[in-house]
Amino acid sequence: MITLLLALALLWPFGVMGHAVWLAYRAPEAQRDYFSVLWLSAAWPALLLAYVGEAQWTMDAWMLGGEWELNSLSRPWLAFTALLWSLAAVHARGYFAAEQAQAQRGDQDAQRRLLRLALLWPLTLLGNVLLIIAQDIASFYLGFAVMTFAAYALVVHTGTQEARLGAKAYLILAVLGEGLILGGFLWSAGAADTLMLQGVRESIVSAEHGAWMAALLCLGFGVKAGVIGLHVWLPLAHPAAPAPASAVLSGVMIKAGLLGWISVLPLSHAQVSGALAQFGHWMLVAGLAAAFAAAVYGVFQRHPKAVLAYSSISQMGMMTALVAMGLVAPDVWPLLWPGLVLFAAHHALAKGSLFMGTSISEHLPRWPQPLVWALLALPGISLAGAIGAGMVSKWGVKAPLYEMHHESLIKLLSWAAVGTAALVSAALWRQWQQRHQGGSNREQWGAWLVAVIAALLTPLWLPLPAGSIEMPPLKEWLGIMWPFPVGVLFAAVGWLLTRPLTGKTLPAGDLWGFYAFVVGAVLVPIRAFGHCCGRLKSASVITAQKAEETLMGHLTRLLSGESWLRHHTSGLMMMLAVLLAALLMWEGQR
Amino acid sequence: MNAAWLPLTALATSLLVAVTIFALPEEARRLRTTINIGAAVVKIILVTLMVRRVAAGHEDIFSFQVIGGLDFVLRIDALGVMFAGLSSLLWLCTTIYAIGYLEGSANRKRFFGFFSLCVASTIGIALADNLFTFLIFYEMLTLSTYPLVVHRGTEQALNAGRVYLRYTLSAGVVLLLGAVLLNNLTGDQSFSSEEGLGDYLNDHRGLLTLIFILLVSGLAVKAAMVPLHGWLPRAMVAPAPVSALLHAVAVVKAGAFGILRVVYDLYGIELSVELGVITGLAVAASITIIYGSLRAIAQQELKPLLAFSTVSQVSYVILGIGIFGPFGTVGALAHLLHQGLMKVTLFFCAGNYAEELGIHRIDEMDGAGKRMPLTSIAFTIGALGMIGLPPVAGFITKWYLGVGAIQAEMYWVVAVLVASSTLNAMYFLPILHRLWFRPGPSHGKGSWPHEQRLGRLETHGWLLWPMVFTALISLGAGLFAGLPYSPLDWAARVASGEYLP
Repeated sequence: MITLLLALALLWPFGVMGHAVWLAYRAPEAQRDYFSVLWLSAAWPALLLAYVGEAQWTMDAWMLGGEWELNSLSRPWLAFTALLWSLAAVHARGYFAAEQAQAQRGDQDAQRRLLRLALLWPLTLLGNVLLIIAQDIASFYLGFAVMTFAAYALVVHTGTQEARLGAKAYLILAVLGEGLILGGFLWSAGAADTLMLQGVRESIVSAEHGAWMAALLCLGFGVKAGVIGLHVWLPLAHPAAPAPASAVLSGVMIKAGLLGWISVLPLSHAQVSGALAQFGHWMLVAGLAAAFAAAVYGVFQRHPKAVLAYSSISQMGMMTALVAMGLVAPDVWPLLWPGLVLFAAHHALAKGSLFMGTSISEHLPRWPQPLVWALLALPGISLAGAIGAGMVSKWGVKAPLYEMHHESLIKLLSWAAVGTAALVSAALWRQWQQRHQGGSNREQWGAWLVAVIAALLTPLWLPLPAGSIEMPPLKEWLGIMWPFPVGVLFAAVGWLLTRPLTGKTLPAGDLWGFYAFVVGAVLVPIRAFGHCCGRLKSASVITAQKAEETLMGHLTRLLSGESWLRHHTSGLMMMLAVLLAALLMWEGQR
Repeated sequence: MNAAWLPLTALATSLLVAVTIFALPEEARRLRTTINIGAAVVKIILVTLMVRRVAAGHEDIFSFQVIGGLDFVLRIDALGVMFAGLSSLLWLCTTIYAIGYLEGSANRKRFFGFFSLCVASTIGIALADNLFTFLIFYEMLTLSTYPLVVHRGTEQALNAGRVYLRYTLSAGVVLLLGAVLLNNLTGDQSFSSEEGLGDYLNDHRGLLTLIFILLVSGLAVKAAMVPLHGWLPRAMVAPAPVSALLHAVAVVKAGAFGILRVVYDLYGIELSVELGVITGLAVAASITIIYGSLRAIAQQELKPLLAFSTVSQVSYVILGIGIFGPFGTVGALAHLLHQGLMKVTLFFCAGNYAEELGIHRIDEMDGAGKRMPLTSIAFTIGALGMIGLPPVAGFITKWYLGVGAIQAEMYWVVAVLVASSTLNAMYFLPILHRLWFRPGPSHGKGSWPHEQRLGRLETHGWLLWPMVFTALISLGAGLFAGLPYSPLDWAARVASGEYLP
């Protein structure tokens, strides 16, 4: 039964894609509904699968040997992933309604864009589902690659200048990341002769260069997770992508990087080597640096979705730090991971609803304005930890850290939450500035509302192990909630201070310009060298050809000598005979 | 029980077809097509039979003495069957494709005659059991491909043919020199002898190394290793099915297969390691891989780009030979098949674009995905496989090569693999982007260079279905690599024969 459901979860997206193709070729133009109920249902079997129970599958014929599992980690992960995919799909139906109408009127360009999206959206989802259940390297890498490359269509959808730049940044970094992951997997799997993620974890612990393997894999997955330095695609791609695409990109796809870390790093392993622990420290520092730097840079962004992208970087920085704790202090991990999963799930839904919210504020429904803006603010407040699931998830990671006496990290995370609060208030402020009346339809706000509610109630529906998450005790509430007002205050003060500078903003994608400059500068000498080699090659070809010509000339002249020889054959023979005879005679004389 | 008829029949099917086609008049199109396809199917059946016999542990040998101490021997072994299988499968696909491609053009009799001769040579190469027999078919291959390369008869084609002959014939001389030296040293040396040349190591170390270098550099010309690759991009003037055959199975693969034979069966892997030559092989292959990829990035036209991609990809096989250990060998052998399948798909696609739409340059490919969806999907599969992304077969080989390199402690090979994957992505992804993401003539922007409506579907059915078939096989070889009799499974079988006594 569960196997049947698994097959359905993986094959259903293909069916959806097939339907989209059928539409494009067979259905009349005016009746093409790219976002039909069938399309919306692409993620439903996967969602159902997450709630059915734990299971395990082994398939020898599959690639290098398939091993899939629904366990205590992959079930909640699949649940929040599939839920957000389903909601974002419904939102997309509303979001693209105008474009769909355009396509039905016969706009070729809109048809092309929508068909592309309708085809690659389920494929991206499929990759995402596969990588969650995969326990063997090949399936995991397959899911990761499918998701990464198919998501290109989601980013580039509008085809504008910004979208193309964002998609380019996304793709370049993705290829870089894939290369790093491949290197890391080959190294660790080759050293231990394994094909499973479990083997990779063991290999990293036992191998001499385990820390370097871990570094390669972490950087590779870090591209997705937006590790500082490799995060530049996020603020470039998010503002350009359509809102539902941003929602899944920032909500669940960057979590794939996080899941990658959890899958390959030997977290909670008692005997990690010194180098590996050292690497954990670096990761911790990188995570915290991202958490703070993204907050400081992000509040000055103009586009609300760019602000939200920086918020994602900041949040992922916190999660990076928490994962790093699994290396630095292995004994804390068994207590910490349910909290981290809840954190990730809550962030997924909250960030998803915030991104969907940007499309709501651009097409405000005719509701009482305070209600709309309160609803738009809710997931942000929750993200900062002041209400609902945000509070529970903050406590979920804080409690184990308290228990193991990592007070300084808790303090730092609290201050990072201040940054979160500042970012979400800045995003809301930008949304307010760029608001538009009217135009949002039922699917658009319906999906958004459900996402907001799901975000606030995350612990209630997430299938985590029983008893792993508790409500924070009342006396701790102040300690969890204080960052929110402080963050809002900071944002307000920052806005007042920088008011004289209106009109000037920091560019989104901070380091992208710098990277482009460096690569350009490095390419100059390489190009010069290439030209030099090209000239050298053509020069040597010409020299060789000349030499050949001269040689052939000589040979031809020899050939013309042949006729002379033939003409005088008898005389020459005679002379040769006389010469030989003379030689023989001289020999005989001696 | 020795079924001596089996290798002989396999060889004779293609040879007889060649003779028959030459005897038929030019106009007998239908009869020629029937004979061609019928023979190709018979060949596949024979190879299936061979596979079953090898799997059951039989060794079928056909031999006769030419002169004293020099035998003509055909033998069916696992490695040979691998190459023969690839050759016969792709012969069928390419023949069907070529019939569609050359429809209505002149000199088809000559083309198909030499085409069959060329395939007969590859079967001979696959089944040859000693260097002498190998050489005969190897040179026969050179001569039978020349008329195919110059088929169009243009100035450019004749020039390319001249360059091709210069390269391959001089290489043949070098190879012959090596073979003669070896024969002087050891007498007739069978590929199947267990001990290899280990006995001669102590007294003739230098000579053995010299012979190895002569043999491999002679073979490396056909395998298009840098700096001996110059003929390959020029030979791109040939018609698409010829390029497909040349790149996927015939010439380039014959070189790589020859190197496989020399290292594994003639010298033996232990002796090669002892001589220290396989590290040199790995280094040369790495240089070729990177150089080919770099040159491919700079290309403006589709077929030369694919040619440089072949230069790079075939050296994966050589790289796998250079990695000591079962994983490297499995990678090398599997890539022999995987690369053939993927590259033949890519060339079929390039041919389809050229025939249907007149596309030769990369910048003309904008939006072709809408006009020719199946071709473009097949191209995408081939390109992703070349990059080494799962689930296409290329990933499987890359994985085995990488793991083998780690286990042989050649960490730099992993760096080469990753760099080459990235470079491949740099030249294939922009093409995919053009195909699927850019608006082009099919979206009402500009027009195709030379559009024809060849068939009811996106193009002529004879051109379409072989390509779809090879694309599906390349996908299946990756997705279900764990199935028995998959390329990976068979490669593992051969490799275990090499490493386990």
